[in-house]
Amino acid sequence: MAAINMDRVQFEKSLKEAKPVLVDFWAPWCGYCRRIGPAYDKIAEEYADILIAGKVDIDENPQLAKAEEIEVIPTLVLYRNGKAIDSIVAPDSKAMIDRFIKAALEK
Amino acid sequence: MDKKHVYDMVIVGGGPGGYTAALYAARAGLDTLVLEKLSAGGQMAQTHQIDNYPGFEDGVDGFSLAEKMQKQAERFGAKSEYAEVSRLDLNADPKVLETSEGIFYGKTVVFAAGATPRELGVAKEPELVGRGVAYCAACDGMFYKGKTVVVVGGGNSAAADALLLSRIAKKVILVHRRDTLRATKIYHQPLMSRENIEFRWNSTMTELLHDDKLTGVRLKNVLTGEESTIECDGVFISVGRKPATDLVKGQLELDRSGYVVADETTKTTIPGVYAVGDVRTKLLRQVVTATADGAVAIHMAEEYLAGGA
Repeated sequence: MAAINMDRVQFEKSLKEAKPVLVDFWAPWCGYCRRIGPAYDKIAEEYADILIAGKVDIDENPQLAKAEEIEVIPTLVLYRNGKAIDSIVAPDSKAMIDRFIKAALEK
Repeated sequence: MDKKHVYDMVIVGGGPGGYTAALYAARAGLDTLVLEKLSAGGQMAQTHQIDNYPGFEDGVDGFSLAEKMQKQAERFGAKSEYAEVSRLDLNADPKVLETSEGIFYGKTVVFAAGATPRELGVAKEPELVGRGVAYCAACDGMFYKGKTVVVVGGGNSAAADALLLSRIAKKVILVHRRDTLRATKIYHQPLMSRENIEFRWNSTMTELLHDDKLTGVRLKNVLTGEESTIECDGVFISVGRKPATDLVKGQLELDRSGYVVADETTKTTIPGVYAVGDVRTKLLRQVVTATADGAVAIHMAEEYLAGGA
């Protein structure tokens, strides 16, 4: 399953789920964000059992991006129990996202 | 993987060179795998608009072109993995590729790992990435809407970045250590005619000024030694590229700048291994020369697999 596009309501709802939530903050004009897209969908598929993978378009959800203090995109944030536990900016490989998730979940 | 699968060809890097090699290999009936660590396109995927790749009269964005190249190669049976290669053994038979997604084997290898932006090497540069320091105007330019930015460099990418930023930012200051641009002529006139682009010739950037974020830069005039400060919100560093050849160091012959030594045949110092695209020693690094390398490499690989050269 590909990553879910989230608006503010869906984002807040997902944070109440038992599973950790990974969110990719991106925008259509951001070239590097588009590059991460295919690998991120693969991540969503591979980690479907243990986490929810979502995407937030910061142009459509500027207040949400501001509230989450997103200043650079793409930023991936991993949330658990409603709180951000770690984030990574512009990962340069799928392997780097894998390592980020594993390390963040161990925190 | 229970049984060791040996591909006819494994391609390291899914840029235009890699996927053209994949297209030619798959069409030649070779069992072909592309290893790409993020997504198709490489540096091309970060290029907002490509106007010098023939066949697209209105230009094409690099990411879309990359996706098309990938789909075209896959239509003929090439496979792709989002895998980061950690170790290569190119002298082994078959050749061994250890990756984040497992170990792969190939009778032949096309090395098309590309190049990445070169850092300037100023103190605090890595720490300030994303907080004022950037390497890709097409990616991060929009964050500097209505702001003042500095572009460091004098080549084609610096010129293109300055032009792109001049449409977004309030003011663009181009800092170059010589007194003329190295960029091709077609950039000169547009750059000079932009009212919001200023030039600081014969200057280098010596320091990044910051609190939480970048607040300005220190420049030094290389002729007079005079130093000055510019207040700015962002600095885009466009000072060339470095080839991604760490993986093949000690196995393939590299030139002084780190590029893989190979002529137009793309043949490297190891039989059955071909260097394609920006990683290869060449005069002109463009999408069109990378794709050409990909086609040639498969021609050579077919000869090799048939027991010839």
